[in-house]
Amino acid sequence: MSKKKIIILIIAILLAGVSLYIYKEYNRKNKDLGKVTADMEIQSSDLIKKFETDEAAANKIFLTKKDFVVAVTGRVKEVVKDEKGYYTIVLGDTAAFSTVRCLMDSMHRQEVSRVKQGDKLTIHGAITGFNKDDLLGSDVILNRCAIPKQLSNL
Amino acid sequence: MKKLILYPSIILLSFSLVHAQDKFYTKTAKVFFKCTKPSSPEKIEGTNKSITCVLDTKTGNIQFAVLMKGFEFDRALMQEHFNENYVESDKFPKADFKGQIINNTDINYTKDGNYTAKVKGTLQIHGEAKNVETTGMLVIKNGKPGINASFQVQLSDYKISIPSLVSDKISNTVDIVIEGNLDPLK
Repeated sequence: MSKKKIIILIIAILLAGVSLYIYKEYNRKNKDLGKVTADMEIQSSDLIKKFETDEAAANKIFLTKKDFVVAVTGRVKEVVKDEKGYYTIVLGDTAAFSTVRCLMDSMHRQEVSRVKQGDKLTIHGAITGFNKDDLLGSDVILNRCAIPKQLSNL
Repeated sequence: MKKLILYPSIILLSFSLVHAQDKFYTKTAKVFFKCTKPSSPEKIEGTNKSITCVLDTKTGNIQFAVLMKGFEFDRALMQEHFNENYVESDKFPKADFKGQIINNTDINYTKDGNYTAKVKGTLQIHGEAKNVETTGMLVIKNGKPGINASFQVQLSDYKISIPSLVSDKISNTVDIVIEGNLDPLK
């Protein structure tokens, strides 16, 4: 092949590569958190304490890094199913007012059917923030939650 | 002796029953928004399924708390842009609404039915607070209120700017729908 043809071929391959990257990046969906390794493992009581002690500092740790995944371990206080069929697993001590609310990813709905009150569970999720509320009880909220298979003792 | 304990207990108990159904709440109310311009090739919309709402049926006082990072989008890139460039959720992680049902006396919370609720209050997004007024629906079913309201906000009112590059996709006028079923606060 002539030098000119090789250069054209290389440029064509590069353009194809860049186009594919742009296409994939544009259409990228949120990762399935059931399959990723968590960035941090933490007990639900410690997570609540971090936010209750210093919300701004906790926000910096958990909310500012892109796609930061936590593996939160705790006892199931309640399993909530809302009017649209979305599940929330509420982790917390029976005595405590504050909880960790884990909004389950709609793709992981079937796992929730095996979860009962009192179960000790590790859940992967993305923290969306802290709702401080003296009337209703403060909550750390997570979404896109999944129960990772290898850590599930269900 | 028994009467001394019994009668005050009955009075106290009846007080607690009367006041038992004053406040209702939910932690799973939903907000859906869209700001898609007709010329846009794709839908610009997001949903948040973990809105907290408290309603005081005696006063008509109603409040919502929203965590901005709770908004979910079809495309991860849209979610990132929403958080990083538009609502700047690192700086302003929360939005809230604090208001009043101004025709609260028209609503019979103990009688099942559909009631129009005129709501007026302050909406805070992106660090900016604005007075808003809208009409919504309050559906009482089995003694519990369900809320449903649609209204519009202007992004510019909340200092959220749309870059000219995407001005053919994203509208300054955002349609918002909020809905939820409330349970009694014990």
